[in-house]
Amino acid sequence: MRTEAVLTIARREYLERVTSKGFWIATVLMPLFMAALVFLPSLLLLKTRTTHQMAVVDETGVLGPALVAALAPKSPEPERGEGLARLGREQAEKQMARFEVDLVPPGEPEAQRAALDARVLAGEIASWVRLGPEVLTGGRAEYRAASVSNILTQERLGEALTRVVSRVRLEQAGLDAGQVEDLTRATRLETVRVSATGGRAEGGMTGFFLAYFLVFLLYMVALLYGQQVLNGVLEEKTTRVVEVLLATVRPFELMLGKLAGIGLAGLTQLAIWLATAVVLTAPGVVGALAWLPEGQLPQVEVGLVVHFLLHFLLGYFFYATLYAAIGAASNNMQEAQQFVGFVTVFLVAPLLLMMPVINDPDSVLAVGLSLIPPFTPLLMMLRIAVKMPPLWQVALGYLLCTGFILLLVELCGRIYRVGVLMHGKKPTFAELWRWLRYA
Amino acid sequence: MELPPTLELDTVRKTFGDFVAVDAVSFAVPQGSLFGLLGPNGAGKTTVIRMIMDILAPDEGEVRLRGRPRTRDDLRRIGYLPEERGLYRRMTVTDQLVFLGELHGVPRGEATKRAAQWLERLGLGAWAKAKVEALSKGMQQKIQIAGTLLHEPDLLILDEPFSGLDPINQGVLKEALAELRERGTTILFSTHIMEHAEKLCDRICLISGGRVVLAGELAALKRERGGNVYRVWIDGPEATLEGLPGVAQVVPKGDGEARLLLAPEADPGEVLAAVVGRTRVREYRSEEPDLETLFIQAVRDAN
Repeated sequence: MRTEAVLTIARREYLERVTSKGFWIATVLMPLFMAALVFLPSLLLLKTRTTHQMAVVDETGVLGPALVAALAPKSPEPERGEGLARLGREQAEKQMARFEVDLVPPGEPEAQRAALDARVLAGEIASWVRLGPEVLTGGRAEYRAASVSNILTQERLGEALTRVVSRVRLEQAGLDAGQVEDLTRATRLETVRVSATGGRAEGGMTGFFLAYFLVFLLYMVALLYGQQVLNGVLEEKTTRVVEVLLATVRPFELMLGKLAGIGLAGLTQLAIWLATAVVLTAPGVVGALAWLPEGQLPQVEVGLVVHFLLHFLLGYFFYATLYAAIGAASNNMQEAQQFVGFVTVFLVAPLLLMMPVINDPDSVLAVGLSLIPPFTPLLMMLRIAVKMPPLWQVALGYLLCTGFILLLVELCGRIYRVGVLMHGKKPTFAELWRWLRYA
Repeated sequence: MELPPTLELDTVRKTFGDFVAVDAVSFAVPQGSLFGLLGPNGAGKTTVIRMIMDILAPDEGEVRLRGRPRTRDDLRRIGYLPEERGLYRRMTVTDQLVFLGELHGVPRGEATKRAAQWLERLGLGAWAKAKVEALSKGMQQKIQIAGTLLHEPDLLILDEPFSGLDPINQGVLKEALAELRERGTTILFSTHIMEHAEKLCDRICLISGGRVVLAGELAALKRERGGNVYRVWIDGPEATLEGLPGVAQVVPKGDGEARLLLAPEADPGEVLAAVVGRTRVREYRSEEPDLETLFIQAVRDAN
């Protein structure tokens, strides 16, 4: 391989992109677009926060007032949860419907049911609940509403009812209210990750978040830059520059140079965005950290960050190479678009495999999957975040994935070289296979 | 001791599926020659050139440079102008030339210097910082030719270099090729227009239907085949000459002038007698054939 040829090609691709107007327009517009995407929904949610008006027919005489009290808005328990989780919960509670409960004395069942259903249909109340005496002995409470798809609201109502019913049952069994309060307090897990450097309190979700962040990042980047790689590869076919290039460099060198150049241009843009995001959110983050209790600062090891970056790069170049392969096999954009959905398969498949890996990161399944090159960037990263795998596995993952990408580049180059000289006709898979072995 | 030819093709064959594009083509381009690869459209010229440049791999046969099988490194020292030309449209003219120079192994500083020199020479100095897409087709073609020559190759392979150029620029290119030859550059170019080759080439290879039908030194070929061609001026239309005994082909030239390709065993005197029997002959003489005539003759003989 002639490194200087690869560098010359990479340099050209990089400069052509970074010096284009479109690049800088996108670089400026994207953060604005993202900001709008983040802030608009919460602004809208603030405005659309609803009140759930409901009627409760209490035939037990004890459950009704207790339920009203349980559903009344209250300040969150200050000690519950930590950092992000608490912020998230508060945000969710803020966005949930507020209950407005109207206690209705029981009447003649049939007539009352008809009357309340009529009120529901007229839109005066959203729902009504009948609490019959059987509720206290394990029976069901009847929930009637025009719409029964508001799962969050129903879940909250169900939870409140369960709490109230069990408290009443306990009181009826002879315990006093204070005791009941103590006895029914919920238990929460304190998660501690054990690592070689000693155990320490840590959110068990860190690995999960990191992996999801990586998926999100890769997905975004694949969508954003895959198209550019595709365009770049198709460009030489359409402008017919390729013949001169193929006479001086090997297809592999050409492909590698293009991928590196376009890839680095994408990373430059991403770095600018990230830097902007860090600068803009820094005051907020510092503020949030100040609120966290001592010792609960989210800790991220340097090693983890390095692995994250390396896996990101691997994933990035893997998807870019897939797009390049599509470009190499197509004659024009329309043809290429038909294959683009295919790339998503490689993003979604590891996503579906995440749960088994998280649950048992050392299982044969998890180790095997994380060593399969297309899955390595996501799944090996996930394993590293959840529980550091043996070093040889991590190293093997890097090695296999890098080798796989280089192999793809080589195949890509071959398809490109032959495909470029056969304009006009869409290749069949049989032809693609012949092209791979040819040349 | 004689030097091995700069470029040599040895029974090269290339098929696409069932179609035989190039069949057993052999020829040699001696050092310093200006070599014409000729043939009608679809004869296989571009396929031959692509095999020389290792863009296509021959099914059989070998391409040799200076007596050795051609390597990837050799390719970088060749100046190649493909039939399908193209430049990066959003790149500036200078960047484009420097890029091509660098790919051929010229250091960036040197490539920048040469690019400026070439642009001056082509009268495109004012366009040095313009994007390629702003240039006319003809200007782009000149840039492309400059890009082919920037690394000062000692072997040039040009596929249809005259197509797309106006007559003035065709003249400029002819002069440039002649000048390069003077300086010792070996040049192979393809064309389907015989007049271009006629004035420039010292050697030719004519191919038709993927096969070599005529090859060698142009002057010698003309001498060898000269006895068979006569030019005749008659009164009346050239159509009068159709179907003459001993004449294989009539090439009408207008105004009663025609070129007669005699059959191999024909007697020129008997042919003249036959023409006189049909119409009044103003002039009849033996002629050195032009390339077009040689070509037609060779294709006919091959069939």
